Parts: sequence; structure tokens; C-alpha cells
Amino acid sequence: MSERAAASLPAKQPGRRPGALLRWWQRAGTQNVLRIGGIVLFLAAWEGSSRVGWLDPLFASSPSLILEKLISMIGDGSLWPHVAASANIAALGFGFSVLVGVPLGLAMGRSKNIRAAVEPFTTALNASPQVAFLPLLIIWLGIGIASKVALVFLGSVIIMVINTEAGVMQVDRRLVETARSFMANERQVLLKVILPSALPYIIAGMRLGVGRTLVMVVVAEIYAATKGLGYLIFQAGGLYDTAQVFVGVVVLASAGMLFNALLRWVERRMAPWQHIEAG
Amino acid sequence: MIEIRNVSHGYAGSDGNYVFQALANVSLTVAAGTFVSFLGPSGCGKTTLLRIADGLLAPSEGEVWIDGKRVTGPAPDRAMVFQEFNLLPWRTARGNVEFPLEMQGVGRAQRAERASRALSRVGLEGFAAFYPHQLSGGMKQRVGLARALGVGPSYLFMDEPFGALDPQIREMMQIELMKLWDNDRKTVIFVTHSVDEAVFLSDRVVMFGTSPGRVVADLAIDLPRPRWEDDEAIKTSAKFIQYRNDIWRLLKQQLSGMGTV
Repeated sequence: MSERAAASLPAKQPGRRPGALLRWWQRAGTQNVLRIGGIVLFLAAWEGSSRVGWLDPLFASSPSLILEKLISMIGDGSLWPHVAASANIAALGFGFSVLVGVPLGLAMGRSKNIRAAVEPFTTALNASPQVAFLPLLIIWLGIGIASKVALVFLGSVIIMVINTEAGVMQVDRRLVETARSFMANERQVLLKVILPSALPYIIAGMRLGVGRTLVMVVVAEIYAATKGLGYLIFQAGGLYDTAQVFVGVVVLASAGMLFNALLRWVERRMAPWQHIEAG
Repeated sequence: MIEIRNVSHGYAGSDGNYVFQALANVSLTVAAGTFVSFLGPSGCGKTTLLRIADGLLAPSEGEVWIDGKRVTGPAPDRAMVFQEFNLLPWRTARGNVEFPLEMQGVGRAQRAERASRALSRVGLEGFAAFYPHQLSGGMKQRVGLARALGVGPSYLFMDEPFGALDPQIREMMQIELMKLWDNDRKTVIFVTHSVDEAVFLSDRVVMFGTSPGRVVADLAIDLPRPRWEDDEAIKTSAKFIQYRNDIWRLLKQQLSGMGTV
């Protein structure tokens, strides 16, 4: 029993106490400092250029103008209906894409016959710009929420299918055989071996799917919408209200980053033994 | 008792025509309570035969009977230990040991209790909450062994279980296995490449030859037990060395017959 788990702690560094700034730098980690420093530098350059007149605020706006606009739109309640409309479409479209894409991907990964039957469609859908379906979707489903949800679904479901299938294909066959030798039936193999094994791929697919979802929401709301962040952005663009365009962009980007971070956290919790980068 | 009756097995090549003959007409009987090693070079079909005996693989021809019942698939009276451990990385040591019990519908409380017992038998009671990636190779295989023992099998099938371990750890694991085996004397089929390992552990060594895979020799190993108390004395005894040399001679004949040496 002389073996030990391979966990070791970094040795304490002896010597002089470093200065406060250096200590903060060490604690934060070089990469984090550079990350935040880069953002601060970018915003400062943007703001400065705008103030001294190198950039025309009418076209480029400025961080302070955007922040001012954001606060005023939150304050007077004019932002919220747009956020709610977009969130509704995104949640429905993305939710359906996960509900349909994951089981379909599992089935395609497990059965050569199902894969043969479905793959031509997924390949074609993946290769085509799904945005091109929007006019058809509007004709079929009307200009209400249904056609927008359908576009988001089309854009995101394909990623869920492909990633889930890839996750199933990479499952270690020895683990499946091991489960079989310990009397697991087909259902148990699927739920207790295949699904957990494919989970990091499924979550990576969801991270990509969130990005695709946001694009599709904006595109769908350009056409035939009276609410939503896409509508807000394009309406503001038409009025040269660049600050409001950026407000829409900032809200969308924040939502994307928030969900990405959330999914990364879920992945780390559920699959601590491996980290797969989306992409 | 395990009866292997005229088992042959061929693997089809990728074009469907070519067939690799992994086993040709193997017949073998393993008495209950014996420790038998299958020894032979790579490609001699010893692992294939073990998978057939477990029910993971249906033989092209022939059949296997265990305790008067024909093997048609895996059953709870036998359990496998794999060379590459094959632990589920998302489950802790305890979760892995509980896995077969879960598959077999054992209730939660009983699962926990049986897993605790199995883990402490292999000396891992303090590591129940560790994930496989946090464990060393030897510890992973202890989990693999606990998982098999937790099922309470009458037959333990071990497929080169120590083949992926460092030499020192490997010797320690052999001694641990001997201690465990002396407690209940289950029927064990132990697949290995290592002559010393086969002689040290077994009551009987069945040697396999290649192309096609078949039994070429069957030796009873008559060394005193328990063998773990003074393993050095066993391994340096004249009898041990004699067995070892006999087996090596047979192996070399096999290899020169194949034209590979």
C-alpha cells in the first residue's frame, strides 16, 4: 500500500515578501492581468480617440456614450421588452434544438442504419446557410414568433446533432464492453456509459449552439419584427443612433458570454477528467 | 467447473472474405477452485477464449458450459478484470465498484455496503471518493479488482490484469492477489504473457500457440501454498526454476516453429 495519489502541493517560496502590486499580480495570475489590462486599454483608446476627435462619435460612438445610453434605457424601461422578446425566441429555439438534437445525435452515433438515413439531411443542412430558409419559414409559419423560433432551431440543432454524434463515436468501446460484461442492458449502456461519456461533446455543442442562436435571433428580428434586440439594433442603425446599436450588441455579447461561462462551469462540474474546447 | 468444448473462433477481415483464425478446436476443463493461467504469445487467442468464456463473444464453433449451463452471454456468477482497467472516468472508485451492482438492480444501501467491503478488501477504503484520474495505475487496477469482487462471482476472469503496471507494482499486486485468493479460492482464469507470473500464481498453466490459436501444453504447478508469505523463497526454489525453464523451452519451440525467431 505504498502508492499515493499523484497530488502534490506547490512548495512555499522562501525569501523576501514581494511588494503589494507584485503580490496582487501573482495572486491574480499573469494571464488574468493581461486579459483585463487588454480590455481596459482598448476601452481607454476608444474613449480617448472619440474625445480628441480622431473618431467621429456619430459613427463610432464611445464607451461613455454607450454606457449612458444603456443606463437610460434600463432606467426608462425601454430596453426590457426587447430583451424579453429576444430571450423568449432564443430559449425556445435553443431548447428545442437540444431536445431534438441530442437524442437524434445519440441515435445516429449508435446505429449505422439511422446514420445512413439521416446523414444526407444533416450534411445538407449543415452545408447550407440556414438564414436562407427564413423567407420560407415566414411563408409557412407567419411573421410571429414561430418562424423566428424555427430559424434559431435550424441554426442550432445541426450543431447539437453533429457534436452529440461525434461524442458517441468517440466513446471508448472497452467501456461499453466492460458494462456489458457486468450485465448492463442496451438502455443501461446508453444512459450510464454512452451519455456520460459524450457529455463533454454535448456541452461543447451547446456552447457553439448558443453563439449560433444569438446570430439567428438577430437575423430573424431584422425581418418582420416590432420588438427584440435585432429590431432595436437595426432600427437604431437606420437612425444613426450608434450608441443604441452598441447597447444591443453589448447586451447580446454579454448574454453569449454569460451562457458560455455557465456551460463551461457545468462541464467542469460534470466532466472534471477532461476539457474539450468548443470549436 | 468450466468446460470449453471444441471452441473455434475466426475474426472476419475488413473485406469480409479474409478470416483470421484466432482459435482452432480448443477443448479444456477447469475445475472449481483452481487458479489457471492462460500463457502464450500475442495473437494466440487466449484473450479471445476468455471473452468467449465470459459470454462477451459468441464462438464461431463449439460451446462453453459453466456449472452445467451453456454460456450465451455475461452472467453474474463471473466477473472480468481488464488489462486497461476500463474504469468509468466520471465515477469515483466507489461509483465504479457500485456500477455492476447497479446494473444488476441491487438496492442503494446494499450497494454501498458491498462496495465498501470490496474496496477495503483491496486496501482502498481511504480512496473511495477519488476519481480514476487521481489514482495511480496500481490503485486503478485495485478498483478494477474490487469491482469484480463486489459482484461476488464464483469465477474471476483476469485479462492480463497487471500487464500495464510497473514491474515492482506488478509483483506487489501478484502477492495481494494471492492473499485475496487464499481467502476464498475462487476459480480464476488469468491471462498473461509472463512466465514467472503464471508459475507463481497458478495451480495450472495452459500454454497456447499461434496460427491458429490452440493449446500446446498443459502443466500442473505443484508449489506449496500460501505463496505470498515468503514469495522470494518460492521464486528461488529449484521447483519454481524447473517449471520456469520447462515453460520457456516450450515457448521457444513455439516461436521457432513460427519462424519468427
